[in-house]
Amino acid sequence: MKKTIFIIAALLVMGWNPANSQTQKGSVLIKNATVLTITKGVLEDTDVLVENGIIKKIGRGLTASNVTTIDAKGKYVMPGIIDAHSHVALDAVNEGTAPITSEVRMADVIDPYDIGLYRALAGGVTVSHAMHGSANAIGGQNITLKHRYGSGNPDDLIMKDAARTIKFALGENPTRVHGRGNGIQPRSRMGVEAVIRNGFNDAIQYKKTWETYNNALKVKGATPVPPKYSERLQTLVDILDGKIIIHCHSYRADEIYMLINVCREFGITNIVFSHVNEGFKVAPELAAYTMGASVFADWWAYKFEVYYSTAYNAAILTQNGVITSINSDSGELIRHLYHEAGKAQRYGELTDEQTLALITINPAKQLGIADKVGSIEEGKQADLVIFNDHPLSVYAIPQMTFVDGVKYFDINEDPNDMRLRVAATESIEPIFLKEHDHKCMHGVDFFFTNFGRSLFDHEH
Amino acid sequence: MNPKIQAFKYVLVLALFLSFQNIKAQSDPSGEKRVTGTIAIKNATITTTPGKTITNGTILIKNGLIEAVGTNVNIPREAQVILADSLFIYPGFIDGASTAGVGKFADPEKPSNYNPANPSDEMAGITPWRNVMDVYDNKNNQIYDWRKSGFTIAQIVPEGGMISGKTAVVVFGNQSSTNILSQNSALAVRFQGARGSSRAYPGTPLGIMAKFRDVYKNTELSSRHSKLFASNAGLNRPEINKTYEALYPVVDKNIPVLFEVSDDIEIRRALSLQKENGFRLILVGVSNVEKVTNEIKAANANVLLSLKLPDDKVTKAKMEELSEEMQARTKRIQDAYHNILKQASFLEEAGIPFGFTSMGAKSGDTFKNLRVMAENGLTENTALAALTINNANILGIQKFAGTLEKGKLANMVILTAPLLDEEAQVKHVVADGFMYDYEVKAKKNGSGEKNGSNGSVAIDGFWEYTSDTPAGSSSGTLEIKKEGDSYKGTITYDNPAGGGQASSEMKNISLSGTNLSFSFDVAAGGMSLVVNVSGEVSGDQISGNLSLSEFGSFPMNATKKPKSF
Repeated sequence: MKKTIFIIAALLVMGWNPANSQTQKGSVLIKNATVLTITKGVLEDTDVLVENGIIKKIGRGLTASNVTTIDAKGKYVMPGIIDAHSHVALDAVNEGTAPITSEVRMADVIDPYDIGLYRALAGGVTVSHAMHGSANAIGGQNITLKHRYGSGNPDDLIMKDAARTIKFALGENPTRVHGRGNGIQPRSRMGVEAVIRNGFNDAIQYKKTWETYNNALKVKGATPVPPKYSERLQTLVDILDGKIIIHCHSYRADEIYMLINVCREFGITNIVFSHVNEGFKVAPELAAYTMGASVFADWWAYKFEVYYSTAYNAAILTQNGVITSINSDSGELIRHLYHEAGKAQRYGELTDEQTLALITINPAKQLGIADKVGSIEEGKQADLVIFNDHPLSVYAIPQMTFVDGVKYFDINEDPNDMRLRVAATESIEPIFLKEHDHKCMHGVDFFFTNFGRSLFDHEH
Repeated sequence: MNPKIQAFKYVLVLALFLSFQNIKAQSDPSGEKRVTGTIAIKNATITTTPGKTITNGTILIKNGLIEAVGTNVNIPREAQVILADSLFIYPGFIDGASTAGVGKFADPEKPSNYNPANPSDEMAGITPWRNVMDVYDNKNNQIYDWRKSGFTIAQIVPEGGMISGKTAVVVFGNQSSTNILSQNSALAVRFQGARGSSRAYPGTPLGIMAKFRDVYKNTELSSRHSKLFASNAGLNRPEINKTYEALYPVVDKNIPVLFEVSDDIEIRRALSLQKENGFRLILVGVSNVEKVTNEIKAANANVLLSLKLPDDKVTKAKMEELSEEMQARTKRIQDAYHNILKQASFLEEAGIPFGFTSMGAKSGDTFKNLRVMAENGLTENTALAALTINNANILGIQKFAGTLEKGKLANMVILTAPLLDEEAQVKHVVADGFMYDYEVKAKKNGSGEKNGSNGSVAIDGFWEYTSDTPAGSSSGTLEIKKEGDSYKGTITYDNPAGGGQASSEMKNISLSGTNLSFSFDVAAGGMSLVVNVSGEVSGDQISGNLSLSEFGSFPMNATKKPKSF
């Protein structure tokens, strides 16, 4: 009895502790909309009932008491857009000081005050994959964010039930930063492969060392000496054990194929390639051995290794059975990913459903969250966007954006100043005119000195 | 700052002062020599601890300890008696974290095979074995400055990288003593990357967080290995690592981590490291603290708030001249500014027993900033607690410091008015039983007439000044001309390069009411040092201070002379 009271008391205390507080969940009834479910077709004149953050029911003539009702007649409802490659809401992007930094965590450097989150919401984006930059062959552990803008607590932004992911990078960025910048491996594409292989082989040894120690501990009276701990190697062990999805910055077909082979050799199947501008050349391989490709709609030729590409990339990949998504890698593009997806349709003549999948269910699959978000289905989390027009129309403008059933953006309640905090001394804050630049190389731009601005102006 | 420039500045300052070859006077208001160790301070208003005040009380100090406090104290014959009618006595202030008198450790040499991806701990800024006392100079002017503002005890913090070393607690007493109250009292940690830009690991908060975890975890494992080795045969010897060894007291929770943080985001980062690893935590330099008071309480972390306040650049904005959009923006900045002024009262409201730290603050602003915080909700009792007993508790020295009670160390500050009163000035400070006397400036003639006196102050003309420094006195002239609404001028001073006087242009001359301020550059060998001067003009006299940024500030007095051509 005493014990029970103690447990109840403990629960009460923990319940009161705001550090353990739950994120807000909302309830709402959206009536009479054209519902673009993505996975279950288009439902005309349909209602969506959200209860406590979850899609409870999809159908006609739904009613609910004590729930905000929104009449969406003539409007379109689609799942919240998911950006599989973003650097929004991060204080630091690149720990560009070592070729392998798998120990660093983007979750440590979330900036919950970033106005970029609100701008993304205004573009219908509810989930973004906040990634480490591309300075290192093996970068940091990424974090999947739900855009619950407003609390100022970084923890509230983390999608707790998302899969673990990590950033890898091939090609010019890691070779420039470490090889040319610091005179260490990798200095060439071969070096990048070697760094990754050596990393995995070290991880195998590391795993054995700890297994031996832990087994020795089980023997009665044994006093084994603990080995050194390395979160860097432990993270690589977790990749080998299939607990982490690799998201790899890549451009050229040869290096993509190289990493596919390395992964096959080490038994790794959880890998997504990012950018993948030459992905169309290795589409069957990407379809067979990876979790897909996350590409730009029509952006290339910003540096040597990315001169060869095509606006048909997304369509070719899709038609070859590659799980394909379109990402932003930019605080500007994230505001109109539905237009970016529309470009893939313009060139490759994908269907509406295929096209919208590029920014919803497909990125959800690549992030390991497709059972929770990415489509409008009963039981899924209620991340929803209401558009005035079909989202693939050039006239489409998001009207309202919901995360977990809570409305975080409403075009009719959109004050001029949505900043969560301002500096106490600056009357005008600096405006970054280059905000549209890709941020993959954020924090390491000084490496571009003497390489010619026109060629290296873009930073991805 | 570039260490070379830093070193050069020291040389420059030294040169500036060594050229004044005056012998120190024999009488001793500096408190360094005393006639008797027994001092009685009579008939004062004594606040022994926040909320407890004795009127017409007497404090008897004997050989560095408080012998008695009360209204009925027998004064022995050998006592030096100070008549303190109309004076206010408080416990000597304790500075939770300070860099006063703290020098720099020598920078490590970059090895020829240096790999920025895997630098040595020293190159990475991880030097927990360092003891701040090794670079502490108890004759540094900063100590005089802070003592003059009522501070008698401070926790001094080593500068450096992410884990810079161990702090110490010192008393600002007589120079002949080491003045150490405790050494290796806390581990200084900050979000600071490896030396030499972001190109060495760890270079960003990402790497710093990961590196901290790595070092902490491996310290625990190293400690376990050492303990096993000590009590078992047949084991491999532990690899002795001075980083881990220096961290054993932290993982054993014998000493806390003193974590320098800026805003709520960094506070949360420090708290998450604490939550994962379980060390004792003191947060230093908090701001936006109202966002995280619950989390701080849940973590049972101690908090030190800086006495520094930002310059007010916005509250006097001419709103009516701004567009509607700019008005709204300016309003937000004003709110943000006021929010910083309210940090102390937010902590008070949340019931967090915080202390003050001088980190980043100027000693001369102490009382002014306390008053500003009080105007923004901080109560006098909490202000005093944050200066005394709270810091004594945080530093674990409450047994012998923090209040005025029999048996505690004789540290106190004696003011001309209550702590938060506009007129409060420090008249005496007793530190470690030594008495330090300070000149009290005459009261301003009727504070209500400040504006009226505006036109009556004329600074244009020719002035002669002297400035007292610990090394002697320096002198020179000021020549100020009025040009329209502004002033131009030239200052002369003893040439630091030797050989008579040098002169510089006076910059940013500003006269606000009777407050004069300006700055000038002392140049030598292509380098320059900025000297800031501020003072009160009263008729033909200016009395003020000459301040050399981190080297401290020194009194300066000027008299107007008819210029002889």
